Amino acid sequence: MRDPVTLAIVVTDAPDLHGRLLATLHAALPRVGVLDPCAFVCDLAGTEELLGAPTRIARNVLARCARAGARASAGIAPTPFVARVVAERTPPGEVRLVDDGRAFLAPLPLDVLPVDVKVHDELRLLGLRTVGEFADLPRGSVFDRFGSAVARAHALARGEYGDMVRASAPPRRIRARRAWDDAIGSREQLVFALRVVVDEISGALARDGFAALRLELRLDREDAGPLRIERTVLPPTREAAALLRSLRWALEERSELGLVTGCALEVPEVEPARGRQIGLFAPDGARAEEAIATARYLRAKLGTGAVLRARVADEAARLPERATEWVEVIA
Amino acid sequence: MAENALAGAIARIEGRFGVHALARGSTSERHRSELVIATKSSLDDVIGGGLIAGEPIAFIGPPSVGKLQLALRATASAQAQGGMAAWIDPTSSFDPIAAQRASVDLERLIVVRARGTHLALATAAALRSEGFRLVVVDVGDRAFGGTNVDDIAPALSAVRGSPAALLVVAGEPGRRVAIPTFLFERVAWERRFDRTVGWSFAVGRAHASDRALFCVTSLEGTLADLGTRPDLAQVAV
Repeated sequence: MRDPVTLAIVVTDAPDLHGRLLATLHAALPRVGVLDPCAFVCDLAGTEELLGAPTRIARNVLARCARAGARASAGIAPTPFVARVVAERTPPGEVRLVDDGRAFLAPLPLDVLPVDVKVHDELRLLGLRTVGEFADLPRGSVFDRFGSAVARAHALARGEYGDMVRASAPPRRIRARRAWDDAIGSREQLVFALRVVVDEISGALARDGFAALRLELRLDREDAGPLRIERTVLPPTREAAALLRSLRWALEERSELGLVTGCALEVPEVEPARGRQIGLFAPDGARAEEAIATARYLRAKLGTGAVLRARVADEAARLPERATEWVEVIA
Repeated sequence: MAENALAGAIARIEGRFGVHALARGSTSERHRSELVIATKSSLDDVIGGGLIAGEPIAFIGPPSVGKLQLALRATASAQAQGGMAAWIDPTSSFDPIAAQRASVDLERLIVVRARGTHLALATAAALRSEGFRLVVVDVGDRAFGGTNVDDIAPALSAVRGSPAALLVVAGEPGRRVAIPTFLFERVAWERRFDRTVGWSFAVGRAHASDRALFCVTSLEGTLADLGTRPDLAQVAV
């Protein structure tokens, strides 16, 4: 039998605190998964020497949840399913540890099992009332009659099916902010000041292996309310020059910025940074991408027929217009 | 706290001394080989080693004297050093065949046909991009439908700190903008068998004695470098 190393935390009275509780659990434990809104499961395997016994960990977690404003209940069991059922049947603020999952589930009604209502009705017609009675059925017969989904529920009823905790990555807020003593009234000056912030964001993205897909810039102004600017960065990048260019163009689209006293730049949406194939014999391929980005901007500003690339079609052509071809850089 | 103080100090210096009074270390400490676009001709001796990233320069002279020939040569040099070039062309007069003959890689040259207020916008956007080594603005000659050098004045603030050099080609200097200017003067016509087959021209600062001398021969269609001469001011025609 597996050791009871799965901790389930269930909060019923504070559905708004899901994000905050998840951040709290991520800060406290290494592997945290989400079962439902305000229902979390944590794999405590291997943490005993570092963090203490599972019950102690659970109490610490409950204390943290309480500080966050949520009254949570904790269940510790060998498998995530049993741990959740235990937590749901434990009063808020308390911890309950169950060693034998099958024995714990046996007297409970069939409703606790995650199966379809029709299957529930069919099981009742067969005279089954508790999880224990269902668990006593032969495994092969259940599979033959009801199929794989109910066979999985049958394994859960026996306390056998040990789903692994699918840990989600902790949400990281990539954000940088600055406040300036002297208000900035010039756009150029503001762009220059934003470089420091963009460099910080770029460093944070590089550390996490992300590329920014969306930027949110908030400018605090002396003479008006905050100005919020959203930019989508395509293709996603973490290059400081590209991020700054995107912000610069956004600022240039506004005629009046006012007196800016501070800024907060956040990356609300990221993508895993992908490598970029640069042609072996193409000199300075990275610069070419920057140039194409500028061409795209100018194409948007100037319209068609303004940003072009020339080709010599026939140098010996009699008519000059046949000698060369002009193609749009951005189709 | 230290970063806040630094940002505040930067903002104050910028407010008092101008937008580009400070340059980032990565910009100011770029290796000189990255900054200088050497044309490998006697023009380099006259303009101080080559075109320099983050600095503007103007070629001024009468039509058909050789300004664009040298501008194309500079473009080819910039591309040879591994970069792209932007050619701002308000008069739509860019000649791809001449460019190809001057060894310009047309695949790595973006031609922008921008006029009026868009001229400064396109110039500034190209200078602010990290993608170009050289930005050439051929404003043309006013007698032939060209614009005024002064039209690019709003973009000049973007030059400093830019990874690209700015080369302005024009018929006459501007009145409002102060750009280091190199004058092109025709020195002599080259004649063979009683026919004009080319001309030579000199490039130099207005009041400097050293001039770079070039010869354009229509027979070969090439630009010959005749070296630097100190006494050309007296023989110019």
